[in-house]
Order: sequence, then C-alpha cells, then structure tokens
Amino acid sequence: MDRHGSTTAGKAKDIKFALKQFLKSIKPWRFMILLSVILAIGSAILALFIPKILGDMTNIAVNTYPEIDFGSIGRKVVVVVILFLASALLNYGQAFILAVVSAKYTEHLRSEIIDKISRLPISYFDKHKYGDTLSRMTNDVDVLTTSMSQEIADISLSITTLIGVMIIMLSISVPLSLISFVAIPLSVLAVGKITKFAQKYFREQQNTLGALNSEIEEDYSGQIVIKSNSYERTAVASFGAVNQKLAKAAERAQIFSSLSFPVTHIFTNLAYVAICILGGKFVIDGVINIGDIQAFIQYVSRFNRPITEVAATTATIQSLLAASERIFEFLAEPEEEPDTEKSLTIPDVKGEVEFHNVCFSYNKKQPVIKNFSATIKPGMKVAIVGPTGAGKTTIINLLMRFYEPDSGFITIDGEPIREMKRADVRRLFGMVLQDTWLFSGTVEENLRYGNQSASYNDIVQAAKSSNVNHVIEALPKTYKSMISEDSDNISAGEKQLITIARAMVADPPMMILDEATSNVDTRTEQLIQDSFEKLTHGRTSFVIAHRLSTIRNSDLILVMRDGAIVEQGNHDELLATGGFYAELYNSQFAEN
Amino acid sequence: MWKLFKYLKPYWWQVVILVLATVAQVYTTLQLPALMAQIINDGIVPGNMDYIWSMGLIMLGLTALSAVAAFLSSFLSARVGAYFSRDLRAEIFAKIINAGVSDLKEFSTASLITRTTNDVNQIQMVITMLLSMMIRSPLFCIIALVMAIQTAPEMSWIIAVGVTAIICSVVLIMALVIPKFKVFQTIVDRITLITRENLTGLRVIRAFNNEKLEKKKFEKTNDELTKLLIFIDRILELQNPLIGIIFNGATLLCSWVGISLLHQDFSYLGNMSAFAQYVTFVMMSFLMMSMLFVMLPRANVSAERIREVLDLNFKIHWRGETYGVPSKSASVEFKNVDFCYPGAAEKVLSNVSFVAEAGKTTAFIGSTGSGKSTLINLVPRFYEATDGEILINGVSVKDYEKDDLISRIGFVPQHGILFSGSVESNIMFGAPNASKADVIRAAEIAQAKDFVEKLPQKYNSRIAQGGTNVSGGQKQRLSIARAICKKPDIFIFDDAFSALDMKTDAKLRAALKPITENAVVLVVAQRVSTIKDAEQIVVLDNGRVAGKGCHLDLLNKCPVYQSIVKSQLSDDEYAHELKLANKFAEKGAK
Repeated sequence: MDRHGSTTAGKAKDIKFALKQFLKSIKPWRFMILLSVILAIGSAILALFIPKILGDMTNIAVNTYPEIDFGSIGRKVVVVVILFLASALLNYGQAFILAVVSAKYTEHLRSEIIDKISRLPISYFDKHKYGDTLSRMTNDVDVLTTSMSQEIADISLSITTLIGVMIIMLSISVPLSLISFVAIPLSVLAVGKITKFAQKYFREQQNTLGALNSEIEEDYSGQIVIKSNSYERTAVASFGAVNQKLAKAAERAQIFSSLSFPVTHIFTNLAYVAICILGGKFVIDGVINIGDIQAFIQYVSRFNRPITEVAATTATIQSLLAASERIFEFLAEPEEEPDTEKSLTIPDVKGEVEFHNVCFSYNKKQPVIKNFSATIKPGMKVAIVGPTGAGKTTIINLLMRFYEPDSGFITIDGEPIREMKRADVRRLFGMVLQDTWLFSGTVEENLRYGNQSASYNDIVQAAKSSNVNHVIEALPKTYKSMISEDSDNISAGEKQLITIARAMVADPPMMILDEATSNVDTRTEQLIQDSFEKLTHGRTSFVIAHRLSTIRNSDLILVMRDGAIVEQGNHDELLATGGFYAELYNSQFAEN
Repeated sequence: MWKLFKYLKPYWWQVVILVLATVAQVYTTLQLPALMAQIINDGIVPGNMDYIWSMGLIMLGLTALSAVAAFLSSFLSARVGAYFSRDLRAEIFAKIINAGVSDLKEFSTASLITRTTNDVNQIQMVITMLLSMMIRSPLFCIIALVMAIQTAPEMSWIIAVGVTAIICSVVLIMALVIPKFKVFQTIVDRITLITRENLTGLRVIRAFNNEKLEKKKFEKTNDELTKLLIFIDRILELQNPLIGIIFNGATLLCSWVGISLLHQDFSYLGNMSAFAQYVTFVMMSFLMMSMLFVMLPRANVSAERIREVLDLNFKIHWRGETYGVPSKSASVEFKNVDFCYPGAAEKVLSNVSFVAEAGKTTAFIGSTGSGKSTLINLVPRFYEATDGEILINGVSVKDYEKDDLISRIGFVPQHGILFSGSVESNIMFGAPNASKADVIRAAEIAQAKDFVEKLPQKYNSRIAQGGTNVSGGQKQRLSIARAICKKPDIFIFDDAFSALDMKTDAKLRAALKPITENAVVLVVAQRVSTIKDAEQIVVLDNGRVAGKGCHLDLLNKCPVYQSIVKSQLSDDEYAHELKLANKFAEKGAK
C-alpha cells in the first residue's frame, strides 16, 4: 500500500458535489445532529451568564459595603453553580450524541464502501491501485467523520458564544463593546493578509517536501544499484541539497506564520488596555459599576477564542470536503450491470463451451479479441499460450464474466452465459491462479472457501489428493493453523497446493488453471503438476500453459500475442503453419 | 527520545534567546492582570484618572514588548525544529545509504522511508512543541503562581484545589481510555486487513461467489469497532465538561472568597479578579503539560524507530585502501565458501568452490532457495561470507577498498531499477566520466539503442521516478547498458535476462561476447536455454555445489541438473538432449 509521501489532504475539485453528497448521506442522523446543536447552543448560553453574575456579586458587595449582603451574594453563588453544572451537562450531552452519530456514520460509510467493492466491475480494480481504494476506506472516512463531529460542535458553540457575548457586552456598555468590536476585524484582517503571504512559502515548503520524499523513496528502493555503482557520495550530496532547501523554505514560511499570533495579541491587548482606561473613566463618572468592568474583561477574553476557532474551521472544512469527494466519487463509480431477471440455470452441466464471434477490447481503441469462435467439447483441455504480458488472462476474464464481450457471446452447454446469473456462471468453474490468494484464517476455513458445506473429511481428502496433506499435518495446529496471504510458515508452492485443494473441495464441473509456478522448487513443482493432472481429469479445463507437456497434450491451443489471439489449433497443426506459435516453440524449447 | 536532543546542540544560542524571549513574553503577559488590579484599586476606586492613563500606557508598552517576545519565541522554536529535523534526516539518510545490503536486511524499504520522513516529522513536531510549550507552560505556571500568591496570599489554597482537580480528572480519564486505545488499534488493523484482502482477493472471492461471506466478516468487525469507539468517546468527552466545571468553580471560589475578605482589606476588590486570572493561567498550563505527557509516548515510538537505524552497526568493514596488488587479468574464485544469514540455523551456502575465468561465462542454476542469488551477492560484498575466501583478480574481497572493488564489477540486478533523470544519466550512473560515444555503444550492446533513438529527445529523454515511463523490458536493457558503460572486469547478471524476450536475449548475449573477451561473466538463470552455451555451469542444490561443468557434461553426470532440464523440456526433447550428451561423453572418452 502506498501511503507515504502525500501528507496534504488536498482540496476538493467539485465542492458542490462533495457537499451535496455528504449532506445526503448524513441525512438519517439529521435529528440527532440537530439535537446536539441545540444542546451545544444551550450549553453556550448558560455559560455566558456566569461572568455577568460574578460581576453582579462584586457590585452587590461594593454597593452594600461595609455591611456586605452575603445573603443575596450567596443566592448568586447558587445560581452560578447551577449554571455551570447545567452547562457542563448539556455540553456532555451534545458531545456524546455527536460521538454516537459519528461512530455510526463511520460504520455506515465503511459498510457502503465494502459493498461497493463487491459491486464494482473487476475492470475498475485493474485500472486503480488497491492502495487508493484502501485509503478511501481508512484515511478518508476517518478525516470525514472526525472533522464532521468536530466542526458541528465547534461551529455551533463558537457562533452562539460570539452572538451571546456580543449581546451581553452591548448590554453592559455600548462604547466599551464598540472598542472591542473594532479590534477584532482589524486583527482578522491582519492575520488574513499575513496568511496569504505565508501561503506562497508554505506551498514552496510542501513542494520541496514532496521532492525530498520522492528522492528518499527512489534512493532506498534502488539501494542495490547505488551500492554496485559507488553512488553513495553523490546520493548523499544531492539529498543534502534538497534537505537544505526544505529547511530554508520551512524557515521562510515560519517567519510569516509566527507573525500572526503576536499581531492578534497586540490588537486584543490594545482593546484590553483601552477598556481598562475608558472603563475606569466610566466608573469614575458613575456611568457603570466596577463589577461590570470585571465582567466585561472576562467577556472580551471569551470573545477572542471563537473568532480564531471559526478562522481555523476553513482549513478543516476544506479537508472534510476533499475526503467527502474522494469517498462519494468512489461510491458513485458505475457498477456491474445487474444480473438478468429471468436467469437461466443449467441443471446438469456437461461442460461444452462455445465462443461465438466474440470481440473484446479493454479500452475500446485496441481490439484484443477479434471475432473469435471456437467450440470446446466436454472434457477437452484448452491451453492458452504466449509470451508474458500477452494478455492470457483475457479469456478467463470473459469466461468468468469478470468482463463482458463487446459483441458476440459465449455459451455453456448451448446456453448463453449472459443470460445466467454471474454467481451461477462462476459456480461452474474452479479457479487456481498464479497469485495464490489465501485469506487470514485457518487452513480449514481456507479450504472450505469454495464450499461452505464441505465436511472435514472432504477437506482432508482434497488435501491428500493435492499432495498438501503432509504439509498441513506438519504445521503446529495442522488444519486449525492460521495462515494468510503473506504468512511465511508455508512456501509459495505449498500455498499453490492449498489453492488447488480449495478448488477440489469446491468440485466444480470445469476448471481454469494458471500453470505459472515461479518461486517453486523442483520437487514441489512436480507435486503441483501431479495435482493439476488430477484436477483437470474428466473436466473441461482452460490452462494458461507454461509446460510443454501440457501444451502438447491439449486438445486446443489458443496462441496469444500482444493481447490478441493470433492463432488456434492443436500442437501439430500450429507447428505445420509455421507461424508465431512455431517461432515461440522453437525459441523456447527446440534446438538452435 | 532524549538522546536525540544532542542534535539541538548546534542551535544552543538560539535556544537561549528562545528561553529569554519566552520569559519576557510570559512575564509581560502576566503583568497585565496585576496592572489592571492596580487600576481598579488605585485608579478607579479613588477616582484618579491620571493614574489610570499612566498605567494604561505602561500596559501598552508591555503589550508591544510581549508581542515581539512572542514572535521571537514562536519563530525560533519553529526554526530550530526545522533545522533540527534537517540534521536528523541527513544523518539517517547518510546512515542508510552507506549501510551495506546485509545491514538493512531486517528493514523493509517502506519502513526505512517512514523512518526518514514521517518519524522525523513527528519528532520535529514534538521538538517545536517542546520548545514553545515545554518552556512556556512551566514558566507561566511558576510566574503566575508567584504573582497570585503576591496579590492575594490568603486565597492561594484555591490554586491547590484547582490544580489537584485538573490533574485528577486528566489522570482518571486517561487511565480509563488508554488501555482501550490498544484494543482499538488492533480492530482498526483488522478492518484494514479485511478490506485489503477483499481487494487483493477480488477475483477469488467472486469466483467462489463469496461476497456475502466476506461482507459478514467485515460487518462483524465493523460493528465491534463502532461499539468500542462509542465506549471510548463516552469517557473521552467527559474531559471538556469536567474542565469547564473546574475552571468555573475556581473563578467562583475566587469571587466568593475575595468578597468575604473585603472586610479585612478593600484592595481585594481589584485583587480577586487578578487572582482569578492567575488561577486560570496556572490551571491552563497544567492542562498543557498533561497534554504533552500524552503526546510524548507517541513521539517516543518514532524516536525509537529512528534510533534503531542510527544505532546500526555496519557488519562489513572496508579497508581504507586496497591491500595487495590485484592481477591485471580478471578472475573470480570461491574457496570453500559458507554463508549463513545472521540468526538463521541453516546455511544458505556451504563449501562452495569454483573458479570463473576471463573470457568465459559461468552460469548458476538451481531451484529457488538453492542459494544462487546469495552467491553472486557475495562478490560485490553485499553480504560477507561466513567462512571461506572469495578472490577477485587474485585478491580477497576483504582486502579491497570499497570503491576499488565496486568499480571492477558491473552488477545487473533481477529487476531493472532506474532513477529519475535522463536516459543518459541512467546509463552513466556508474561511470560519471563516460563519453557520449561510450553511452551510445553501451546502449547498442544492450539492445537499447533502437528504442532510445526513437524517443523524442533520444538520450536526453526524461526517465520518470521508478522508470515508470518505459516498459519492463526497456528498463532491464537500460540497466544492462548501465553495467556495460562501466567497462568492468566482472559482469554479474542476476537473472537479468528473464524480462527479455527470447530473440532480444540471444542478440544481447551475442553482442556481449566481444566486449567480455577479457572479463568474467557470472549469470544466474532459471531457464536452461539461457545458460546452455555457458563455458561453465555451477548447479546448486540446497546451498551445495551439485555439479560443475558444461551443459552436456552435466547432463551425463549430474542428477540435479538432469531433473531441472527434464522439468523444462518435453520427453522427446529431453531424450534428444541426452543423446547429444552421450555423444559428447564418447568423444571425451576417445
């Protein structure tokens, strides 16, 4: 999985799409979200009154001094306690609701994505990297849901506080409020200007970081070439240059971003001083009370935080939209055509496969299969041969309906497979591919993968005839041992044997095999060959063939080159025509 | 983590300025509440407007000073962080690049990349934070504490109550949540695993119609994760309301206590609100510090991973200059060589001996795991033989200076690896002083000339990172050209011909003949057809030499070779080959 390198979330290309899809998908939870917003607002409002009442306490004390009226002050204390307890309770309520919503929403999105994976045509995954889909499932869902819950709470709290504080401040003293209101747009403006300036340098920093990362990646993966060419010094020097550039860029970007805090600091403190001076004058003039100033100062400090928070939300919203776009873009990918309504089933399959004028191309430009027709009688063995990269899996893709022909059709026992359910077509074939995919689970679970109702006995029997029983028995927990795609307690060849056994357990009427067995030692190779022999016995089978013996014993050979079927026939016929097959055969197997 | 602090050393004076600036900033910020208290007590209460004005001006001056100090401290912490990470990154990079192939065996490339990039970024973030917060918070805490006690000594117990409450609530929440985080991570990993399996096993899942089964598996884990997440959040979300209660409670206490103290001293009127602000500062800095303690362990993981790389002891030591005089004629000789990976029980190679002479091709064949790739990796000393001796041009590999040895070897790895740059820069990779003619000749021999000259900018055409803009076969040919351009004494092809089609393979080998007249050629191959013509074939079986000789010779006497040939040819052809071998043996007998 390729996840290193890009650390920036990026921006959404189509904001409208991203936003619309996001809002649509969150709809089932809209009442919960609304409730949490209401609770957030309530909590903010309750908290707002606290400084005001504390100020009132001071006022009562000053006005009744020296006979301080502790009775009424005590009552205020009780009110404050109730207020902040209630506010905290509401706050917890809103946070809790949001946490549940975001957890459920995450679950929902993940499950949508996994569903989508099973409904997308194979062609999608042949064109897109797994890592890309995986990161939509993990990173993007994470970003979307966490920034969503964070934003909902932040925005509703911030805006309520902002409005509430403004009202209370105005109610205490209009002139004092005006002073603080002037300071805020000024500081926001200044910070905005600075950020805009800094952005250029941040971009430079980001680009240099990208260059640095790819240099690291390249040098580390090419280590053997660097070592065998004494290139170490040059590599270190070249890395040093980029590294230095990065540090410089970071420094320049930092000058600006470091400015923004002191600048806001100056503006807010200016307001603070002005309030002290002017407020003092008002108290002396008898316009307001001392307690009011104390309250006012507390409100001013509460006024600043929501502003910086709202300013910070733009960045979060940007990454939220980018994540949303990537998720919903994926969910909107065109799916496999649904199965036909009236689906054919073949009760007792004989295994006659016919290709009728099949044409196929992966990209509509380059035809891969042109007007291909062939009749494969039950029990026949078909070998598909050709150099690496010739597109030998195309036939398999069509047979299994991973891809559909552009024109023409394929029949099994005379019935067009297009009219059948995909699942019913696929049930007819057993498949053993070169890529030995096993899922993480026990050996037994893996063997049962193609036939959930197989008995333990069936499984052991299949393992025995696939020559893999002794390997499994040698594992610490035999059939209950855990294995996976990348487990290293069994070799590549043994994994292939397990996939053969898996196909045997499924016991399908026809077989698709890939003979390519790289990374296998000679002995295991013979075992595999022997198991293949058993597996194809009496079954119509399609083999991507690499072994001469297989090819020679085949009833039909399809010769592929550059993605297309160029010749077909049996071994002797093809040799006689002296075409590509003959050339291939001679270069690979015969004498010079 | 702390050991990495030595990289801060070159920036010590910046750190000093940083500390001073932070002190100034904290001090000025904390003066403001005191000044405000004075304004209330000595300005507003007696109605002295002049006093208010002069105090106001002092506050303004302090604000300006504090802004400058704030700028300095935040700029310097970021700057030191950036340069710190530059130095650390450079050190890691140099360490990895200069490490031997064997030193890095236990690390995957991806993990090395993460260590150089993400892990360093993590550390940089923490260093920057430490420099700003770790200095500021305690300072804030101490100065605010002192000033609070000065303004209202009778109220200082409130601080103790507030801080205790903060610490208790943070510790409690963390104690409840942190153990769950570990479980959380394993479930997240499982989600990733299942998704990955669904993607990599796409064809198999569909072939077996098991989409529903997979979905069920996923849903189970997904549900588990959701429940756990809700549980964790239920506790974690307590933090904000709790802290709100504590802060508000402390402020209320200040007001109540302050008012009740007014009898003793009317100055508590101003002092209590200053005090309330100091209490808030103290509690805030405790909160910040507790957050640091949550973050530090995470950075520690990164630091640990970085130190694993930096603490690597190179296994192979090179001489400063070559000891002994290598002979002019090229040769490679293995004398009873054993090799065993460190910690492994079984030997990969045991008692391997052979001599490869100039002008001749020596080929290695055997099944996977027979040790043929390992064997040729010993020649450029990528790995060190556990026992025995390897002589290059008559001198032990251990007696060579590194670049001297490497310059004699043209190594073509199994996969064609190219670097971003031009076609030319790639061919000249091991021979920076090669002429244009050399480059073209190398390309011609490697059968790369034709396709290179069809490219729009020929030899100056760009090669993308990882060589993604040329095909696999083209990559391999360029990588062969790179070795040829070096004009080495010894060519090593590690299964390098397998990516080429038969025709190109044959042409290339024919073109190589004239330039390898005075060079040793070592070839590892899977296909018998590739090595049939080799002057010497070394057959490896489980790390032992099972046979040595030419093709026909081995067919007569080496059972392992016979079985390899048999598995690649049909029965008829095998019989034909055997006949040839018999004739060869008879001729030899005569």
